[in-house]
Amino acid sequence: MVGGTPPVARVLAAALCVVVALFMLVPLAVVVASSFSASEFLVFPPRGWSLRWYAEIFSSRAYVDAAWFSLRLATVVTLLSVALGAAAAIAITRHAVPGSEALTGFFLSPLVVPTILLGVGLLMASSRLAGGPGFWTLVAGHVVVTLPYVVRTVAAVLARADRSVEEAARTMGAPWWRRYWHVVLPQARPGIAAGAFFAFNVSFDEAVVALFLRAPGTETLPLLIYSKLEFSPDPSVAAAATLMILMTALLMVALDRAIGLEKVAA
Amino acid sequence: MKREPLLLLLGPVAFLAALFVLPVAQVLVLAFDGGDGGPGLAQFARLFADAYHPLVAWRTIRLALLTTLATAALGIPLAYVMHRSGGWVRAALTVVIVLPLMTSVVIRTFGWLVILGRGGLLARMLEPLDLVGRNFSLMHTEAGIVIAMTQVLLPFMALTVLAAISRVDRSLEEAARTMGAGLWQTLRLVVLPLARPGIVSGSLLVFALAASSFVTPMLVGGVRLPVLAGAVYQQVTGTLDWPFAAAQATLLLVLALLVILPYARLGRARGA
Repeated sequence: MVGGTPPVARVLAAALCVVVALFMLVPLAVVVASSFSASEFLVFPPRGWSLRWYAEIFSSRAYVDAAWFSLRLATVVTLLSVALGAAAAIAITRHAVPGSEALTGFFLSPLVVPTILLGVGLLMASSRLAGGPGFWTLVAGHVVVTLPYVVRTVAAVLARADRSVEEAARTMGAPWWRRYWHVVLPQARPGIAAGAFFAFNVSFDEAVVALFLRAPGTETLPLLIYSKLEFSPDPSVAAAATLMILMTALLMVALDRAIGLEKVAA
Repeated sequence: MKREPLLLLLGPVAFLAALFVLPVAQVLVLAFDGGDGGPGLAQFARLFADAYHPLVAWRTIRLALLTTLATAALGIPLAYVMHRSGGWVRAALTVVIVLPLMTSVVIRTFGWLVILGRGGLLARMLEPLDLVGRNFSLMHTEAGIVIAMTQVLLPFMALTVLAAISRVDRSLEEAARTMGAGLWQTLRLVVLPLARPGIVSGSLLVFALAASSFVTPMLVGGVRLPVLAGAVYQQVTGTLDWPFAAAQATLLLVLALLVILPYARLGRARGA
């Protein structure tokens, strides 16, 4: 660039990058390091290394049950969220729907409303109608929270895609299911992949709605970690957290391979 | 309307109406329960009936403001550096921002508990330098909450500002430099004003998220430093004072809407 960058600016920029990298990553790194501790207590840096806490969580009924529950929950939430969100995004972008701007606002509105409010509301509703919250109450809460992500990613992809292909399929008499299967859904695929990633990840990590809707048999993994942190944290919490970080990292690599991370971040 | 979009919209609209709008509306109705069978503001009056609850509300707002300032101080320059850099630096910074964002807030706060607590990483680094006394800890302090919340919310600021800066025409910057403006002058007079919509929307987003955040203030601050979200949880599960909990949750919603709605209108005016 004309004029070049002054050396002071380069040094400041490099310093900023290092500070931010440390600030963002050290909290994750201390969790990972603590999980390999050999001691009974959560101290950092650990005195001695071992894998005993990983053995501990895999033989712990509470951790295994919570992990399975979270996986089941996130899977059901992802399927429902993608189905509902993709339908909404297709309707908004592909059809001249009256009030489409207001509709988009409606679908994104769960992002604006504090999740506390949703948690209290679903707890009240489920107590009144179903005698208390359960698996499906939690599914409902998480689909509400994740739906905006799916609507946004799918709508963004469809808005850029070529509409005339669908028009062509329509004019040439393709039945609706072939039009969707061969044109609309393939065009929406990168958006659906990104939306599914967000939905799964947000549901698997979410703790606030899950805390309000806590009931016997609905303890998610983040919730189990949260309550251990409140009362008696030991390195087993770090081991469970490390596995969750690992899963997130693997999902991110998969998403990056599939559609590119920078596109998703923007 | 044609049949196809109606069929497509039926599911998502019915779902949100039944499981989002109705439950939230129910909370709002309960918040305006007058206590005598009719509607009224009795629950909100209770918020100001003693010295405790205004303190909680003010702490919530103060922490959210400080967190917004801190994320802006780090996030705006970071976004510019990301914008100007390419190759592996940009890719690495993207991972640095996005990986923590995708990690559960519970886990990130856990990391801060290990860093900020007594005998934690920060104390071990500062105590040998005689910068702090023995048993130094930022747990149960507002400073600790702000530090942890800043890390949790920095990605929202950085990515929002980055999106705005990326839309700025690069040639404007180059024109300023060609005509003799220095880097700092160009930043102050060209880049910052053009990035302002992104800075404003990033700040509003961070403020709204910080004001309603629950996990980080609860774990770092504990019961000694309650915020609105924690108070709501306390009333729902502890004292079972549902109308009062509903009123405080409504206050949170009002706080969030107060900062977000003016911005949404601003954005629409600009778009039209």
